[in-house]
Amino acid sequence: MRVTFERSGGFAGLIVTTSVDTATLPATETEQLQHLVQSANFFGLPAEIPAAPQPDRFQYEITIEDGNQHHTVRVGEASVPESLRPLLNWCMEKARRG
Amino acid sequence: MARNKRCKPSLNHICPICCILPPHMSDQIVLNGDSTQKEWALQSIRASEQFRERRAIVGALNFNVAIAGEKRRTIFDAGTGTDLPGKRVRGEGDPPTGDVMVDEAYDGSGATYDFFYDIFERNSIDSFGMRLDSTVHFDQKYDNAFWNGSQMVYGDGDGELFNRFTISIDIIGHELTHGVTQHEAGLVYKGQPGALNESMSDVFGSLIKQRTLNQTAEEADWLIGAGLLTDKVDGTALRSMKAPGTAYDDKVLGKDPQPADMSKIYTGKADNGGVHINSGIPNRAFYLAASEMGGYAWEKAGKIWYIALTDRLRSQSNFKRAANTTVTIAGELYGRDSDEKKAVQNAWKTVGVI
Ligand SMILES: [Zn+2]
Repeated sequence: MRVTFERSGGFAGLIVTTSVDTATLPATETEQLQHLVQSANFFGLPAEIPAAPQPDRFQYEITIEDGNQHHTVRVGEASVPESLRPLLNWCMEKARRG
Repeated sequence: MARNKRCKPSLNHICPICCILPPHMSDQIVLNGDSTQKEWALQSIRASEQFRERRAIVGALNFNVAIAGEKRRTIFDAGTGTDLPGKRVRGEGDPPTGDVMVDEAYDGSGATYDFFYDIFERNSIDSFGMRLDSTVHFDQKYDNAFWNGSQMVYGDGDGELFNRFTISIDIIGHELTHGVTQHEAGLVYKGQPGALNESMSDVFGSLIKQRTLNQTAEEADWLIGAGLLTDKVDGTALRSMKAPGTAYDDKVLGKDPQPADMSKIYTGKADNGGVHINSGIPNRAFYLAASEMGGYAWEKAGKIWYIALTDRLRSQSNFKRAANTTVTIAGELYGRDSDEKKAVQNAWKTVGVI
């Protein structure tokens, strides 16, 4: 499974990106990631989660390729579904640690 | 419950009532209600996308709930949670609390109110004395500040890269100006109108700082978020209006991505089409115009931009529209062949918009 993550916007306007390939992850982390993707029902989410944009909020874009599944979700910070939040936090933590 | 299409869904959690009150009814309450009813109805009208038009219909006088020139600040503490507004910790006239974020938010929103009132006779964000609510200590190590449609919100920063987001008065001015824009031009938060929306916040945020420090255009640093980056970061601020693209260059944060002119405009999808990136172009146009005019930047260039924001620009206005509009306003205010009009023209030419 490959995950590509981008957080943009915010007052600072920084673009934070990371990509993760489970082929290079320790087994425990792969398991954790698979669990997060499942509980977010990621492949069932709409490509664009609509929201009235609030100034200076973060904007997320996350793409996951897994076997023959391929899906991208774009969502603003103010309308992130609760179920998706842990996956975004996980990606953000990955991006921070480089 | 059916949601009125005029309402902004983001306001629902603040004021659930506003989205079920039909516009004609709230107008009637503003005209005939007592002060509590008026306040309530005003909240509804503020949530309306047709705010500017409806204000004109109801009439300015009837809107006046708060006394002109009187600030109504309230600071809330989210206690590192995400529920808004949080616990009320300081109201108007209360003494300092000793919590630096609370007191910076209080003083900064006061300086912002005073700026708009003293320079442009504008009574608060909506021009009718709207309360200034701020929440500090939002979320954990939150590297951001924002305007949620009805209040300001500030994070503590992670302490590694970012300090607290109340540290710089131009950030506070920036957030409040988003409120002004929402009630006036209503620039959509995407693409060029979005970058103009961002630029207006930087312009007035910087002017508020300049007035607080009593600086002329020449003396000002024209930086946005000076002091926000920690000592560990190679950078002086988040943005430079004078030299977009030069505010920071750091191994963790990367390099300041702002273009200084149209040749480098960002065309990607990130950041709602680069609203915090392409704002560098109109930001520099303002800096150039103000510098060529000289003196205090809020007196002439600030006035031109304020009239554009409150009277002339519309939700879909792009850079070219902003350029032509500000040139026209400069001509109206200072004369068709005035140095001020030439300064505005030169500025937009230098950044490649006209
Ligand atoms: Zn902003």
